[in-house]
Amino acid sequence: MELSLIGLQNAGKTSLVNVIATGGYSEDMIPTVGFNMRKVTKGNVTIKLWDLGGQPRFRSMWERYCRAVSAIVYVVDAADYENVPVSRSELHDLLSKPSLNGIPLLVLGNKIDKPGALSKEELTEQMGLKSISEREVCCFMISCKNSTNIDTVIDWLVKHSKAKN
Amino acid sequence: MAQPLVKKDDDRDDEADYSPFLGIEKGAVLQEARVFNDPQLDPRRCSQVITKLLYLLNQGETFTKTEATEVFFSVTKLFQSRDIGLRRMVYLMIKELSPSADEVIIVTSSLMKDMTSKTDMYRANAIRVLCRITEGTLLTQIERYLKQAIVDKNPVVASAALVSGIHLLQTNPEIVKRWSNEVQEAVQSRAALVQFHALGLLHQRSKGVHGHSNLQIRQNDRLAVSKLVTSLTRGTVRSPLAQCLLIRYTSQVIRESAASTQAGDRPFYDFLEGCLRHKAEMVIFEAARAITELSGVTTRELTPAITVLQLFLSSSKPVLRFAAVRTLNKVAMTHPMAVTNCNIDMESLISDQNRSIATLAITTLLKTGNESSVDRLMKQITNFMSDIADEFKIVVVEAIRSLCLKFPLKYRSLMNFLSNILREEGGFEYKKAIIDSIVILIRDIPEAKESGLLHLCEFIEDCEFTYLSTQILHFLGIEGPKTSDPSKYIRYIYNRVHLENATVRASAVSTLAKFGAMVDSLKPRIFVLLRRCLFDSDDEVRDRATLYLNTLGGDGSVVETDKDVKDFLFGSLDLPLVNLETSLKNYEPSEEPFDINSVPREIKAQPLAEKKGPSKKPAGLAALPTAPATTVDAYEKLLSSIPEFVDFGKLFKSSAPVELTEAETEYSVNVVKHIFDSHIVFQYNCTNTIPEQLLEHVTVIVEASEAEEFSQVVSKPVSSLPYDTPGQIFMAFEKLEGVPAVGKFSNMLRFTVKEVDPSTGEAEEDGVEDEYQLEDLEVVAADYMLKVGVSNFRNAWESMGADCERVDEYGLGPRESLAAAVSAVINLLGMQPCEGTEVVPSNSRSHTCLLSGVYMGNVRVLVRIAFGIDGPKDVAMKLAVRSEDESVSDAIHEIVASG
Repeated sequence: MELSLIGLQNAGKTSLVNVIATGGYSEDMIPTVGFNMRKVTKGNVTIKLWDLGGQPRFRSMWERYCRAVSAIVYVVDAADYENVPVSRSELHDLLSKPSLNGIPLLVLGNKIDKPGALSKEELTEQMGLKSISEREVCCFMISCKNSTNIDTVIDWLVKHSKAKN
Repeated sequence: MAQPLVKKDDDRDDEADYSPFLGIEKGAVLQEARVFNDPQLDPRRCSQVITKLLYLLNQGETFTKTEATEVFFSVTKLFQSRDIGLRRMVYLMIKELSPSADEVIIVTSSLMKDMTSKTDMYRANAIRVLCRITEGTLLTQIERYLKQAIVDKNPVVASAALVSGIHLLQTNPEIVKRWSNEVQEAVQSRAALVQFHALGLLHQRSKGVHGHSNLQIRQNDRLAVSKLVTSLTRGTVRSPLAQCLLIRYTSQVIRESAASTQAGDRPFYDFLEGCLRHKAEMVIFEAARAITELSGVTTRELTPAITVLQLFLSSSKPVLRFAAVRTLNKVAMTHPMAVTNCNIDMESLISDQNRSIATLAITTLLKTGNESSVDRLMKQITNFMSDIADEFKIVVVEAIRSLCLKFPLKYRSLMNFLSNILREEGGFEYKKAIIDSIVILIRDIPEAKESGLLHLCEFIEDCEFTYLSTQILHFLGIEGPKTSDPSKYIRYIYNRVHLENATVRASAVSTLAKFGAMVDSLKPRIFVLLRRCLFDSDDEVRDRATLYLNTLGGDGSVVETDKDVKDFLFGSLDLPLVNLETSLKNYEPSEEPFDINSVPREIKAQPLAEKKGPSKKPAGLAALPTAPATTVDAYEKLLSSIPEFVDFGKLFKSSAPVELTEAETEYSVNVVKHIFDSHIVFQYNCTNTIPEQLLEHVTVIVEASEAEEFSQVVSKPVSSLPYDTPGQIFMAFEKLEGVPAVGKFSNMLRFTVKEVDPSTGEAEEDGVEDEYQLEDLEVVAADYMLKVGVSNFRNAWESMGADCERVDEYGLGPRESLAAAVSAVINLLGMQPCEGTEVVPSNSRSHTCLLSGVYMGNVRVLVRIAFGIDGPKDVAMKLAVRSEDESVSDAIHEIVASG
């Protein structure tokens, strides 16, 4: 299956790829300039991951890498309140593209290890996830640092690869 | 590729292979490119599609921005494949698309990953692509990896990083300059290619690709290159490729330092000579060629190079034979004696299977051979002339030309040869070379004139080149009337009026008119012919016929043509055409008619390039000197903008700048001498080359102690001279009107200097007075002479007449060579050499030099000097001066007598 991994810069996309692929975590990451392509095998499923840069200059290009994927994974920094509205409007902009109709969406609130991180309800509310219709939407709260809920994410992904095939 | 080579012969048509992609269409290929988006990639298929896209781009097909961007993004999807072959195609495609597609930056991260990959091929190619697409800020992020790559164990990776460095020098020199240690290490690499590329990078770096091309920086660059070469020629450059490169850089350093170090041994010659004993033939050849191309190379320096080239002549490899014979061919032009040792080896190459080698061998032999071998060689050339390309035919023609000038007695067989090949097929350049040669032979060998002219006549009967026809008609008009039987050319010329296009017809009319004007007995017949031309369909042809008929007296009376009419119709225009053109452009239509006397006559000296081949005279037909007059115009404009100089009248001449300071000193000053009727203005161009200084109240203190005939009238200092901004100081002197006063002036730069903080650019309040000694300046006789050429010296000389001629003989004493004496006299007089007579063929014992100019007061002067060697080294000359004013003729002799 093929997945696109997007979200604002410093939300933890590349870290998530690393955790899923190897279980390793590093505080010291450099911003992704463009995209990284990773292939991860879980069980008998091979997942192709397009890990895209989150800086403003790359956001217009997200759509090109989301066409025809099995699911879009959208990562949000749950401890960075200020940028949640930006994250929300980028997400809704993206979903309004006709080429992406019907593609399942998985929203991940990352960095719940940080004190004062948003709860799942608050995030759902602030990201306006309830208003999204005509596609499957799911939301998990995770921590790449502590590997919290990573298994749930992998299960979700594997399940969707089977559903599609 | 693996097919056996069946045929060696010319039937190329049969083996022409067609590209499998011939005829593919852009639209269809762009459709195919959708496979890049397939969920299950087929690497083979994708590679093929990329190949097609690259093919299209290389055939000159262009993609629109949208198309390029679309293709680009689908290609980036291919990063998911692990197929090495496909990845390689992806790199190529990104490089091709990077200028036209938007947002190529998206692949940066993926390339950075590949750049640190374990696969060598990924590392090498990712570096090349990344450096192509990255900009400055990202570059600092990857700099660490690039430095590592330069010293990578894999030579392909190291080369990729070094080559990228060479490219980056254009855009981000400061980053590349930080890689010294790594590049130095790479120069020591065992891999041939790495060493080669590292040397290239070092050289580029020391050349310094600076945005501002300041003289100082260029001089520093020269020093740096010189240092680089010095250190490496002592070191251990192993790779033959790098060694060749080093030889080239070395010759460059030698060329550039030649001017400053005239005495003593040539620097680096030992290095070049040592390379002649290198293992690799490539290096040996490069060194030998470098030696032969040294400027002013001596026989002693040449000998070892000629010896190795001689060995190459009998090599079994055609490429070595070709390289050697081509180089020796060039050497033969300047040093024929040095090449004679190779004659025996060269003889055996005449029958070489390779026609290019054979041609070069023969033409070299022609240059070095003696009179007795000419006939034999000519026979051999005739045999294969039809088998070689035009380019080589021209080489042969040029060799024949110089041979004929060397052995005038052989002109008959050589002229025959030229006329024979003139009848055969050939392109424009080739035909032009033959025509030029015939014209030169006619000019220099009087016996060859009649037969040469007839060959030319025959040629224009069937000539497809308008340019050549008109040139020959013009030449016939000048030479034809002077022959014993001018009437025999009329038929050929008049045939043109019937058979050719309008341009040629018009030329033919002019030529006919010249015959009519010069040969009175032909007049009635010419008038009949010209009258027929009045009914021509072309305006220009009719106009010319009408003009000639009216001015030459076509009303039937047969009288001798008036001299004024002749001058008006056929006299040469003694103005540089460029100057005339600018003046006409500046002329605004008004009551006042255009005055041709207002056109400036000064032309810039001919570029030195002409002097390269001493045996090669400027081509016969089109030798009218033309040169831009832009600097003169600029000076005139500048001076007329200064109120103090307005009364001085018309500017007669501006000299070339004379340097008053050594190169690379604190202040750089040169001076231009502007000559007016009763004044002279010195324009000092000053540049302050110290960033930490601001100069104020800058002036030049001029002492005319050795120039009593001058008195200073105007002084215009410059108020402020910041770093690197040239400023001009003017000093004007009065002298007697019309007197060519000469003298020596000493100069001292005086100014107030203020310290400048380089970081802020602000100058301190207080300054210190200071002086700086400049070199002396001389006003010489040549300053009163304008270089103005004439297109046909003999005509000009004859029409000037002997009324004001002055002839005298002078002994010049011992001189280094005849050529040195000739150029000394030319410089002394400051006149324009005509018809290439400033070039003295080597080994000649006598030489005639023709000079032309305009002397102060706008008096035309023509000079003919016959030089001869008198005794062991003494040079003597006979100087004949013609001018419109005998006092001027005397003045010229005065210059020589006192010079």
